Formats: sequence, C-alpha cells, structure tokens
Amino acid sequence: MDLALWIPAVIFGFSISGIFFLVSLGLSIGFGLMRVVNLEQMLYYTISAYMTYTMVRLTGMFWLGLLCGVIIAAIVGFAVETQLLRRVYGRPMLFTMVVTFSFFLIGIGAVQYIWGLSPKPVSSPIKTMIDIFGMQIPLYRLLIIATAGVVYVLIQLLLQKTILGKAIRAGIESPENLEALGININRIFTITFIIASGCAGLGGALNAPLVMVGPYMGFDMLLYAFITVILGGLGSIKGTLVSALIIGQVISLGGTLWSPLAFVAPFVVMFIVILIKPTGLYGVKGVV
Amino acid sequence: MRNKLLDRLGPLFVVLAVTILRYLFPNKISFFTEIAIYTIYVMGNNMLYGYMGLVSFGQPFYLGVGGYATALFLAYVGHNPLIALLLGIVSGLLLGLVLGPSFIRLKSSYFALINAALCAIGVFIFERLLIDITRGNDGLWFRSNMTKLPILDIRLPQNFFIFVVIVLFLALFVYRHIDRSALGTMFRSMQNNEEKLRFIGFDTFKVKWVGFTLAACFSTFAGSLYAINFGFVNPSLGENSRAVEVIVATLLGGSGTVYGPFFGAFAFLGIKDIVSRWITRWELVVGILTIIVLFRFSKGIWGTLKEYLLRAQRRM
Repeated sequence: MDLALWIPAVIFGFSISGIFFLVSLGLSIGFGLMRVVNLEQMLYYTISAYMTYTMVRLTGMFWLGLLCGVIIAAIVGFAVETQLLRRVYGRPMLFTMVVTFSFFLIGIGAVQYIWGLSPKPVSSPIKTMIDIFGMQIPLYRLLIIATAGVVYVLIQLLLQKTILGKAIRAGIESPENLEALGININRIFTITFIIASGCAGLGGALNAPLVMVGPYMGFDMLLYAFITVILGGLGSIKGTLVSALIIGQVISLGGTLWSPLAFVAPFVVMFIVILIKPTGLYGVKGVV
Repeated sequence: MRNKLLDRLGPLFVVLAVTILRYLFPNKISFFTEIAIYTIYVMGNNMLYGYMGLVSFGQPFYLGVGGYATALFLAYVGHNPLIALLLGIVSGLLLGLVLGPSFIRLKSSYFALINAALCAIGVFIFERLLIDITRGNDGLWFRSNMTKLPILDIRLPQNFFIFVVIVLFLALFVYRHIDRSALGTMFRSMQNNEEKLRFIGFDTFKVKWVGFTLAACFSTFAGSLYAINFGFVNPSLGENSRAVEVIVATLLGGSGTVYGPFFGAFAFLGIKDIVSRWITRWELVVGILTIIVLFRFSKGIWGTLKEYLLRAQRRM
C-alpha cells in the first residue's frame, strides 16, 4: 500500500467530515427539536459562502468574510424561523418538507439574482503546507478539522451543562412537557435555530475556498447532508458526527480507489444502512 | 343518473379539452404532447403524495428507468415501439415489486430522502456505470430504429399526439377506476389513520406495496413516452434537481384527486413556458408558486373548481 497516497486521503476525508458535520447539524437538530426537516439550511450555507467571497473581493480578509458569513447566515435563519417556520410547526412532515424546499428554491433564485450564475473562486487564506509522516498536508484542511471538533465540543457543553441546553434536550424528548413547565418553547426554537444556521454558515464559509462558490452548491451539499443526517439518525448530534466521519472517509478513500466512487459510494452506504436499520445509526425511536 | 354519467365521462372531457386546444394552437403541438405525458407522470406522484401521504424527492429516477428501458430496447433489441412502451410499464412493475417491501417500511421523511438518494444513484448508473450501452451524457438515439405501426405512424409528431391522447384517456380511465374502488378508499384512509385501517383488518403493508408499485408504473410509463417523444434519452431525464417540479405540479392541480394531475401539469407547464421566456433559471418562480399554493390555495386548481361546481349544482 502506498502511504503517500493514503495519508493525505484520510486527512482530506476528515476535513470533508468536518464540513458535513457543520452543515448537517441544523438539519438534525431541527428535526429532533422542531419536528421539521428544514431543507432550507443549505441556503445559509450558500449565502455564507457568497458573503465570504464578497468580503474577500472587497477587503481581501478571509476571516472577516467568514465572520460576516456566519452572522448573515444567523440573521437570515432568525428571520426565516420567526416569519416562515413558525407557521408550519405541527403540520405534517411532508408539508414542512415541501415548504422548506420551496423556500430553498426561492433563496437560490435570489442568490442568482444578486451574484449571477457563474461560479466564483475564493482563494485559500492559508497556503502553508505541514509535514506529516513526510507528506505535505495543507494546514487549512487541518484547521477545518479542528474547527469542527471545537464546534462539536462547544455544542455538547451547551447541551449538557447549561440550563438552555437542558431545555433543548427536554424539548427533543417531549415539547408538550417543556411547555407545561412554563418554558417558552418558541424562544428555545429560535435560539436553537440561530445556532444551527450559524453552524451551516460556518460550514459554507470554510468550504468556500475548497469548492467553487456557485448558486447550486447548496443542492450538491443538500444531498450529502441528507445522507449524513439519515445515516446518523435524525435528531441525534452524536449520530451526525459519527456518520459525518464515516461519509467523509467513504468519499475520500473511495475516490482514491476509483474516482466515480467518490460520488456514489456515500449513497450506497446510506442505502444499505437504512434498509438494515430504518432509524439510522443513533436515530430517535418512534418519532419519525 | 345524469351526474353519474357526467362523472363517468370525466376522462373523455379532459382528452377532448387537450385535443381542442391542440387544434386551436396548431404550432404548439409539442407543448400539448408534453402536457399529456406530464399528466401521467404527475398521476404517479399524486398516487404517492395525494393518496398515500408519502412525499418522494426521487420521482425523476422512475422516469429515467422507464425512458432507458424503452430506449435500450429500441436501440439494441427490437423495433416495435409498442413493445418498448410495454417494457416501460414492466420496468416500473419490477421496480415497485423489488424496492417496495424495503421502501414502504420507512416513515415519510426517510422515504422522501431515500428516494432522493436512489435518484442520485440512478443518474450515476445511467451516466457512468453503463456508459458503454447508454452512451452517457451524449444520449442514446433510436428514432431511426422504430418501425411504422400499422394504423398510426407514431414517428410523426402529429400522429404521436393522437397516440398520447388515447393513452392519456386510458390512463385516466384506470386512474378514475382506482380512485373509486376500495383500493382508492384504502389509500386515502391510510393517510388519515393507518393504525385504524390495520385495526379494521386490512393488511396495510400490502396496500402500500400495491400503491407504490402502481405509482412506479405510472412514472416509468411517462418516462417511456418521453423517450419516444424525443427519440432519444440522456441522464438529465432522471436528474435529481428536477424532483421538486412534479411535486409542485401535483400541489398546483390539487393533490389526491383524479383530474388534479391534468390541471397541475397544464398549469405548471404553462407557467414554465411563459416564465422561461424572461428568466432562464426559474427556481424563484417555482418556489414562490409552491409557497402560495401551500398556504393560501391548498386544494389546488381542481379541488377549488370541484367545490365551486358542487356548490353551483346544489343551488340548481
């Protein structure tokens, strides 16, 4: 086996996992807490990547662009949650899916209107290469992995250690009981949604230098986010992380073996897992 | 008595409407052919969405399978278009029977997403895996391989229109029959309360299986008709990003009704035709349209029309 080929592939796989984890978080939490499959999460991903592109063009500072992207994504998420999603809570699953998907389409239309159709390149902010076992690995990839790890730890801390996190977890278990305790569940929803869309925005901004920023980037990502969330089980953050790790490696290692595998292998993996275990790896039982 | 007769003649009215419109606008013949085919496609989705309450983001996959079944037969095996169309239906039947048992176990959201995944795999198969026989993105051309049928030479667009209209009539007839039968009632009641249906003593698994297979048959059949209409197929027929169009058309026409698919296909393709003159990428319009229909107009065109007609009848 050729190490020079496989070690970079594993690390690239982890960085893909990091992006997938950040982007799918909103889909997973949104399902667990609000019983909404909010497909328009990918819109925040797209908008944030475009904001990064714009800020890099204007000021040349990538990190400022990233910050802007996350903030804009959170603001748009806030607006969507309070204006649109609040009207669909409690409706049948298929209704909310169609609503959020059509909102996603509207967003894509708006993005095309503002930024145009042609894909935009964003140059990587860190060009340093790091030497690992004699292999040259871009530092930026490692940074993505670290960021995703930090986000996971922060979210776990938030959920386990704070009152807000306890309320969110209780909400995932039973929203009615939470309301009966006198907690304003709508506010919990809003805060969670802002965090989730901020994470999607972070994923988008971090992914901007790795892919071309285009109006349809959300579409491609939506499929992978689907897979990640379904494989892990809707509503479980740990499941999302584990499945993101699996999918990232499947894409990267599969693509190294035979390049078309990079596209189709994740779907096959998901397909098999779902047919064997219909709730995904760590799925919440009985609520789907 | 009179009402019953009118109800029976419904499919005929629809077909007559398409035919009259086609002769009123003689240069839009391909548009009306597409409406007839699209109606059958939407009927398949309506079976899932409107009757059984299952949303699928992978309907183009079935379209693609039907299209490729027809195209591969005509390109490599035989020359008779009718057998090719029959193969389209058979492919749907096989898909439904094979995939059904594992798919219908899944709850609504997983069902939608696994279909989306299936669609992505389908495009991969058509485009890359079978590239030697499907010719990938170049498309598979077979128009010259089709033989002349005895009465109607469907290689000509105007004759194909007549053929499609006849097929549409038959499809609507079957669809209406399913809707009025016990099976249709079971589909509808499953959407309301599946547990109760099981409690009464029906095997909901089988009912779902039958529904899924029927829906797959309608969709693949539409795919076959599309293939013969164009004279070639390429992987974009089964493309994932088009999955939502058919859902919009279903909603627009009125989900869970017999004639809803026709009105939905007509309205949707009409809007697409008009809008795409000004905007090349028209996601924005599709999205806004869906949200308006969902929130303000949830019965769709035929649902609203039907209500109005019933009220008018009662007043008489």
